[in-house]
Amino acid sequence: MAQTLKTAGYSTVGLAIPTGLLPERVRSIRRTFEEQGVTTALRIDLGPSSRTELLRSLRRFRSAYDVVGVKCVNTRVATIASRDRRVDVVFFDPAMQNVRFSHSLARLLHGALELNLISSLLALPDISILLRIRKTIAVAQEHNVKVVISSGARNAEMVRSPVQLSAIASTLGLSETASIAGVSSTPSSIITENVQKRKAESIEEGVKIVISSRR
Amino acid sequence: MPRRYLLVKILHGGALTDQQFHDSINTSVRTHFGDVGFSRIDPRVIKTYQSTSTSIISCERTALRDLECALALITDCGGTSVTFMVLAVSGTIKGLRKRIGR
Repeated sequence: MAQTLKTAGYSTVGLAIPTGLLPERVRSIRRTFEEQGVTTALRIDLGPSSRTELLRSLRRFRSAYDVVGVKCVNTRVATIASRDRRVDVVFFDPAMQNVRFSHSLARLLHGALELNLISSLLALPDISILLRIRKTIAVAQEHNVKVVISSGARNAEMVRSPVQLSAIASTLGLSETASIAGVSSTPSSIITENVQKRKAESIEEGVKIVISSRR
Repeated sequence: MPRRYLLVKILHGGALTDQQFHDSINTSVRTHFGDVGFSRIDPRVIKTYQSTSTSIISCERTALRDLECALALITDCGGTSVTFMVLAVSGTIKGLRKRIGR
């Protein structure tokens, strides 16, 4: 998969790591990607079913990962995740009928909206999925929400080049500028910001140690 | 009308015949954009390089994004799973040949 990503032209990828994986295993996976010339950012995808579960997971995992994504399985979780500053990206499963990216969520959203285009379109090649993605994009455009375009690839066969991902998004109604930013500047700024925050010198947002007091 | 040329890498597939390759592109374009879209995009396979598993495809300049999208949504070709990845886009075939040589 690392080789496919390199061929596709990616320089950095978000690796969704299961929470129980040993640190040595994580290091070895990252090394495999880095040997191919692909930088990795550690990412966790949370799929909580309640507000309490989401807040507990955020407290536990936020500091350990570069990117925190929340899969919105119901409106309650979607509302809390959109409002919380610790959440970097929220995403919706287009196959789930009970929750969708609404105007009220778009107004609340602090992070970015992620569209897992390939995994959604290939899992259920259905017109209703296309319609739901189109509607999501229309709402995001209306409220100037930051959009991250991702393949959601779980194997090498689902990897597509960034150009293709942005082409799908723009075909589904996202503006040309936003679709290009969705595979380049938006995800890269999220990673850069979080890597900075996770450094030891960082105290809080906008405050960091410039000169150490130790002599 | 000016055209654009795409360098496409064929991954995970076995040895595809030119006909299979051609058919899978046409089918995907027709499925996602219809017959009117097909005439607007006007995809043509220019050359396939078996040694590097790459191919040069051309389309109308204004419909470039549509062809990129149609290529991304192809998952199988002649019964085998396949991935078409757009590596580069150029206004000339010469530009893409240089890229293959690199």
